[in-house]
Amino acid sequence: MQILKKTPNIDFVSLFKYFGPLSGIVTVLAVFFAFTTMKFGVDFRGGLEIQLKFKAPIETSQVRNVLSEGKFSDVMVQTIGEPSDATYLLKLGKTDGDLNKTAQSITDFFNQKFTNAGVEVQKIDIVGPKAGKELQLSAFLAMLWTILSIIIYVALRFDMRFAPGAAVSLLHDALVVIFFYSVTGTQFTLQTVGAILAVIGYSVNDTVVVYDRIRETELKYPNNTLKQNINLAINETMSRTLLTTSTVLVVCLSMLFFGGESIHDFFLAMFVGCLTGAYSTIYIAAPFTIFMEKILPKKVNKTVVA
Amino acid sequence: MKRSWWYSFSFLLVVIMASVAMIIPTAFKFNEDTKYPIKSKINLGLDLQGGLYLILGIDFKKVYRDEVTNYLRKIEFSLKSEGVATKLGEFDLNEPLDPKQFLIVESPADVVKVKEYVRKNYSNFIRLTNESGNQVQFALLTTLKTQIEEQSVSKSIEVIRNRIDEFGVNEPDITSQGSDRIVVQLPGVRDVDRAKELIGKTARLEFKIVNDATAPQALEAWVEEAKKAGIELKKGEKYSEFLFKLNDFLKTKLPEGTEIAFQKTLSKLNNELEKMEPYLVDKNTKLTGDDLQDAYVQIDQQKNEPYVGLNFKSNGAKMFEDLTANNIGKRMAVILDGNVYTAPNIQTKIAGGRAQITLGFGNFDIMMKQARDIALVLRAGALPVQLDFLEQRVVGPSLGLDSIRKAGIASMIACAAIFIFALVYYRVAGGIAVLTLLINVMITIACLIALGATLTLPGIAGIALTVGMAVDANIIIYERIREEKQLGLGNYAAVDTGFAAAFWSILDANITTALAGICLLNFGTGPIRGFAVTLLIGIVATVYCSFFVSKLFFDFYMTKVEGQELSI
Repeated sequence: MQILKKTPNIDFVSLFKYFGPLSGIVTVLAVFFAFTTMKFGVDFRGGLEIQLKFKAPIETSQVRNVLSEGKFSDVMVQTIGEPSDATYLLKLGKTDGDLNKTAQSITDFFNQKFTNAGVEVQKIDIVGPKAGKELQLSAFLAMLWTILSIIIYVALRFDMRFAPGAAVSLLHDALVVIFFYSVTGTQFTLQTVGAILAVIGYSVNDTVVVYDRIRETELKYPNNTLKQNINLAINETMSRTLLTTSTVLVVCLSMLFFGGESIHDFFLAMFVGCLTGAYSTIYIAAPFTIFMEKILPKKVNKTVVA
Repeated sequence: MKRSWWYSFSFLLVVIMASVAMIIPTAFKFNEDTKYPIKSKINLGLDLQGGLYLILGIDFKKVYRDEVTNYLRKIEFSLKSEGVATKLGEFDLNEPLDPKQFLIVESPADVVKVKEYVRKNYSNFIRLTNESGNQVQFALLTTLKTQIEEQSVSKSIEVIRNRIDEFGVNEPDITSQGSDRIVVQLPGVRDVDRAKELIGKTARLEFKIVNDATAPQALEAWVEEAKKAGIELKKGEKYSEFLFKLNDFLKTKLPEGTEIAFQKTLSKLNNELEKMEPYLVDKNTKLTGDDLQDAYVQIDQQKNEPYVGLNFKSNGAKMFEDLTANNIGKRMAVILDGNVYTAPNIQTKIAGGRAQITLGFGNFDIMMKQARDIALVLRAGALPVQLDFLEQRVVGPSLGLDSIRKAGIASMIACAAIFIFALVYYRVAGGIAVLTLLINVMITIACLIALGATLTLPGIAGIALTVGMAVDANIIIYERIREEKQLGLGNYAAVDTGFAAAFWSILDANITTALAGICLLNFGTGPIRGFAVTLLIGIVATVYCSFFVSKLFFDFYMTKVEGQELSI
């Protein structure tokens, strides 16, 4: 069985003139959204989150009523999973005051209202404003170091024509995930950072496989232009790219549909990242090497055979 | 089969047997007292088994402030015996992490003497920072601050550990993070409030004589006055901060050498503060928790009431004897972190270093719990510094179970899909890939158990990602073999070229992913680290399985094919 009967012959590099600007717009928007509309979770913002699971299905408005009855203003209510799960997330964005006490009184109040174990406290997260700031910093540092170390590794293993492309493509993928999160209004949490880093890892995996093939093709056909070799390498590895991407997508989909609420966001990011990872290798990382070859001094080892 | 094949095969068998041996206790849920030689089971993270995750922070601003004051008090006391009268002055808190305090010398002529005395006796601890008229200002030496910083964290961890151990948590994990953070993880803890209460209780124990010469009404009036000036205990404000401000505000009114402390009463209903009764106590701490040998709960047989018994160390016993002898008829406040716990009357001189704290009246069970808490807090040793709760995460037990079940089902569906794909698409070679994948996952889990790593929810995700990457490795190799065969190579040549050509591209891909994993390990916290650990272990297992195990099976398969078409 074969997914592609014949090795395709598509001029991927030339398509950069369409996809390059598209990616550019998305990444610029992502940066803009990250600072404006992005919903940061309690991990980064600081504050209080309580996850409650009710025994019997309950309307969101009922939960709100209970909250206003207990004079807990400013607490936001959000459903988790299906309505039949009867699970709610109570969020308080404030960081002043004794959050510990607040959490205690909210849970006590709900326990009082729903007797006979009608409600169960599944999770309480309290993050002080200082801790939130530090998490932001360490998440940023983790991404920075990841990107730096990958640039250095690719520069050493390949050469300087390749390293910036890999860096740009994985930065692109991280930003696409951020773009997706802000557009869909998904909360940006500590798990999201983990997911973005996993996406970066996966994306660079994909990029390196294709880079490796480009290098090999260059050795095989030293008289071809870089553009020809890149197109050849991408086309020859196309069946692998399709197969791998679809298997990873299947893993993500299975986790999304059956894995439960707690890993949902993680694999949502992975799903998006996996698609953009394959895309960015072909349309960003590979064409970028041509750009780098133009601005870097030419190598003289391409001797013309007489 | 070649000899080298048998070597590799035996090595694989050893790896498989070791992995199975590692996994057995987890798979069959062996007890601790099993005869089976391997005891270790997989550690489930807090998100999977429920529990409490806390990040505590140390307020070094306050620590340094207290330390400066302590030294100046000592100096004040010893200078008095040399006939030089001094008293403590204002703080300069412009640099909060380098607090400076004035020492006021009564007669300006003595300033030189004071400076000389400090230089001679305290030059290893404090430094002179400013001087104007009869006031000399001091601050801590940087080396001392470094020492305090190092000690505070390690000593606090030790003390918290003691308290947690007495609380009976199975495998608590208490570690430092950075220079001023302590992370406490208590898996499986159900009674979260009790645990938090216990850790939060910073038992800085002091015994201070109550100054009853001032009428309670006057005291109330002063507190009221401060309240009018905006100094009251606001919600979320640190109690210690409030006390500091209050005493600073009232320092002109309070009798020389005294300060205000409060006895707080919490409402039974919601633990909100109900009442704060002010006490005027001697400023100087005569006796502290350091002088205490032991504290324990006992029950008064006649009254059937629990009380806390105290034993002092020999040095402390002497001080306690002197203190009680000099203050008969007065009250002695037992103060924990500026809170007056109780203020019993000193009826007689107490010699021999034994004392009791009685709890008054009330429900036996409540008193028992109270007595146990006080004794525990006293016995486990006073925390050297005050700790603030910066981050708390509580996971209920059912959420974890639910998560494990769902993630497990999803992983199985994902694996089944991949296996079916591999078998349909690559047939016999796909079968080899499936076998290799199973070994891969088994090795990964066995390594997690052997290393004592913790499996978290993102960790399960990490295993899933590993499976995805391992499949990618197989696809790269197989697609390459197919290509080589299309170019007209024979079976052996195609397989060898396929594996060789794919080697670097797979290794490069895995190393770069591992780099991301290492960065996660260094910067991530909690569950994210769990993801990084499984990812890294998974990468090592994947590289081994994709090249060596899969090649091993392929070599075996090649001998069976003998010139027929490869089923790939």
